[in-house]
Amino acid sequence: MDLNYSPEDRAFREKTRRWLEANVPTEDLKTLAERKVWHRKLYEAGYVGMLWPQEYGGWGATAMQQAIVQDEMARIQAPPAINGLGIGFIGPTIIVHGTEAQKQRYLKKMLTAEEIWCQLYSEPNAGSDLAGLKTRAEDAGDHFVVNGQKIWTSSGPIADWGILLARTDPKIAKHKGISCVLLNMRQPGVEVRPLKQLTGHSLFSEVFMTNARADKSDLIGKLNEGWAIAQTTLGYERGGNSLGRVTRYAIAFKQLVKATKQLRRNGKPLIEDAAVRSKMGKLYAELEVQRYAGLRVLSALNKGESPGAASSITKLSYTEFEKRYYEQALEILGPWGQVMTAREEFEEIDTASGEAGTWATAFLWARAGTIYSGSSEIQKNIIGERVLGLPKEVRADRMKA
Amino acid sequence: MDFSFTPDQTLLKNSARAFLDEHCKPATVRLLWDDPRGESEAMWKEMAQLGWLGLSLPEGHGGSGLGMVESALLLEELGRAAYPGPYWPTALVATAIAEAGTEAQKKRWLAAIATGDARGALALLDADLDWNPESIATRAEKTTTGWSVTGLKRYVAWGHVADVLLVPARTPEGVSLFLVDPAAAGLSSSPVMSMDPGTRLAHLTLERVPVRNDDVLGAPGSATPRLGRLLRRAGAGAAAEMLGAARRCLDMAVGYAKVREQFGQPIGSFQAIRHKCAEMLLETENSHSAVYYAAWALDAGAEDAENAASIAKAYTGDASRKVCGEAIQVHGGIGFTWEYDLHMYFKRAKALEAQYGDAEYHRELVLDAVAR
Repeated sequence: MDLNYSPEDRAFREKTRRWLEANVPTEDLKTLAERKVWHRKLYEAGYVGMLWPQEYGGWGATAMQQAIVQDEMARIQAPPAINGLGIGFIGPTIIVHGTEAQKQRYLKKMLTAEEIWCQLYSEPNAGSDLAGLKTRAEDAGDHFVVNGQKIWTSSGPIADWGILLARTDPKIAKHKGISCVLLNMRQPGVEVRPLKQLTGHSLFSEVFMTNARADKSDLIGKLNEGWAIAQTTLGYERGGNSLGRVTRYAIAFKQLVKATKQLRRNGKPLIEDAAVRSKMGKLYAELEVQRYAGLRVLSALNKGESPGAASSITKLSYTEFEKRYYEQALEILGPWGQVMTAREEFEEIDTASGEAGTWATAFLWARAGTIYSGSSEIQKNIIGERVLGLPKEVRADRMKA
Repeated sequence: MDFSFTPDQTLLKNSARAFLDEHCKPATVRLLWDDPRGESEAMWKEMAQLGWLGLSLPEGHGGSGLGMVESALLLEELGRAAYPGPYWPTALVATAIAEAGTEAQKKRWLAAIATGDARGALALLDADLDWNPESIATRAEKTTTGWSVTGLKRYVAWGHVADVLLVPARTPEGVSLFLVDPAAAGLSSSPVMSMDPGTRLAHLTLERVPVRNDDVLGAPGSATPRLGRLLRRAGAGAAAEMLGAARRCLDMAVGYAKVREQFGQPIGSFQAIRHKCAEMLLETENSHSAVYYAAWALDAGAEDAENAASIAKAYTGDASRKVCGEAIQVHGGIGFTWEYDLHMYFKRAKALEAQYGDAEYHRELVLDAVAR
C-alpha cells in the first residue's frame, strides 16, 4: 500500500497545471463553436482521448494521468471538453466491437469534436427496462429503415451522429432481437425536440425517427447481438473522473464554509451553530470517503484491473452522496441557498453537471445522477446479482422468454 | 499510487484469518462470554507467539516494527471473529510507551507486552464522559516520593486484567500521563456489564493512589497533544475492527439470502432484500477505503493523517452499525436469537462505536481543522 503519487505522476501534474494556467479561457464560453475551439486545444495538448489507443488518435496515457488532468481541470475550474458520451462510451464501444472501416471513419472526428455524438437508447416505455425498446430497424437491402422514438437524449440538438439500439427481429425474445447501429442525425427522417428539465435547462431531448436510414455498413457487431454490446457500453469504466469529481465537491465545501461564516442565525455566524457543525462535519467526512474510494478505484484501474460490475458501487456511492450533499447544504443555507442566479462569489459552485451554478442548481441537478446511466435501483440489482451473486429475481418477461 | 496490499500484508491477513477460524470460533467466543475473566490466557500466549502483540513495537524491544496498515489488517480479522480480549488497548498502551517512554519504562513494559506477559488498559474517561483530553478532572498531586492520583475513571475496557493502566490526570503543569499499577493502594475496580460481553469494562476509583516519579510518561503537562494522537490511532484501529464485524455480518446475510426460501424462492431474489445487501456492500467497501486510507496516512505521516483517522472512526462507526443491524433484518426472527451468531458482531461494532471518541466527537475535530 502506497498512496503517494510517483515522481512521474507529480511531474505530469505540474506540467498539466502549468499548461492549464496558460491556456484556460479567461472569458465564459458561450457558443458551441467556442467550446469546440477549446475542446480542440485540449485534444491537441493530449488531454482528451487520453486512454484511447494511439492508432485511433488517442494518447495511450495511464488512468492515473487521466485522473490527474480531470483533477487539475476541476481545480482551476476549466470548462470541460465536449462530446463526453462519444469519447467516454461510444468511441470505446466502436474500438471494441467496430470494423476497421468504422474505426477509420468515426473515431478521429469524434475525438476532435468535429462530429458530436449522442446515445439513442432509452425510450418512453423502455427506461430501466431498456431491452423492452420498440424502435424498429427493418432490413431494406443495403440499409435499415428506422422508425421509433428515443428520449432523454443528451446533446441531441447538437449531435451529428448517434449510437442506436433498435429492434431488428420482433419475433424472438426481447434481449435477443436488438441490434446496435450508427445513425446519421443530420437527415430528414430524424427530428430532435429539446426537453426542458426541472433545472430550467435543456440538455436533453426527444428524438423521432420516421423512415430514417442507417447503412448496414454502420452495424456494430453482428445482427441481433446489440444487447450484449449495450451492456459493455453501460459498464465502461467510470473511474477516470474520480479525482476531478471529488475536487469539485471540495471546492463547493470551501464555499459552504465561507457562506456559513457570513450568514448569521441567533446572533452568531451559522458555523458556530452546533446543529450546523454536526451536518458539516458529516458532509466533509463523507466527501473525504468519496476521495479515498476514488483513489482505490484509480489504483485498480492503473494496474489494468477492470472494475466490471463493481463500477456500479462507485456510481451508486457518489450519486447518492451528491444528493445528500446538496440536500444538507440547502438545509444549512436556508432560503439563501435557493437562489438560482448568483450575485456573490461564494454562491457560485460547480454543479453535478460540471457547469457553474448556484447551490440551488446543484441541488436540482443532483436528482439526475441517481437516474441516468442506470438508476440507483438498477445499480443495486447489478451489485446484488453480479457482485454478491444473489439469485436473479423471477420476472414476468424472463418467464415468457 | 497503490491501494492494494503487499504480499507480506496479505500473508498476515490470511494467517490471522486461519488462526482465528481455528482458535476463535463463535463457540470459543461464547465460552469466553461466560468466563468470569472474559479472555483466554492460552490464546493471548499464542497471539504473542504469532508476533501480534509486538506487531508495531520497535524491533529492539521484541517487536516487529510494522505499521498501522498491518495493525488494521489484524484488527479487521479480530473484529470479524468478535475476538474478546485486551488486544487493542494493550497495543495502544505499548505504542504510548514506545513513543514517550524513558528507556527504563520501555525496558520494563515493551518486551513484556510483546511476549504476552503484560496487558495494558486505557483509563481515558472521567466522571463526565468527555473524550476531550482537556476535560480530565482526575488530579495528581506532588508528594515527597512521587505523585498521588485521585479521581474516577469510567468504562475502562479490560481494566480488570491489566498489568498497567495508562491514566491521564491533571497536574499543575497541565494534563499528564501516569503508568499506574492496578494493584496499587487506593485503587479499587468494579466490573460494569456491557451490552457486548466480549468487551469487559470496569469503573476505577483512585483515592490518593501513589505513583512513582519513574512512572510518569513523558514530561508532566505534555499529555494533551499526545492523547489527541492516541485517540486518533485508537479510532482508526477500532474502525478496522468494526469493518471486520461488518464484513462478517454482510457475508452471513448474503449467504443466508441465497438459501433461505419464502414464497417458493430464495429471499435474495427479492429486490427488497437484494437492494439492502447492495447498500450493505457499499457501506462496507467505503469503510474499507476509509480504514486503509487512514492507516496508510498514519504510517506515511501524511498531512491529513489525523483527519483521516477521525473520518475512518466516524464513518465506519455509522456504517458498521447499519450493516450489522441490517444483517439481522435480512435474517428475520432467527437473527434475533441468542443462538445465532450475528449478535456477537452487531454488539462488538456497537461497543466500539462509543469507544475512543464517538462519531460526533471525531467529526467535530475534523471540521474544526478544515473550517478555520
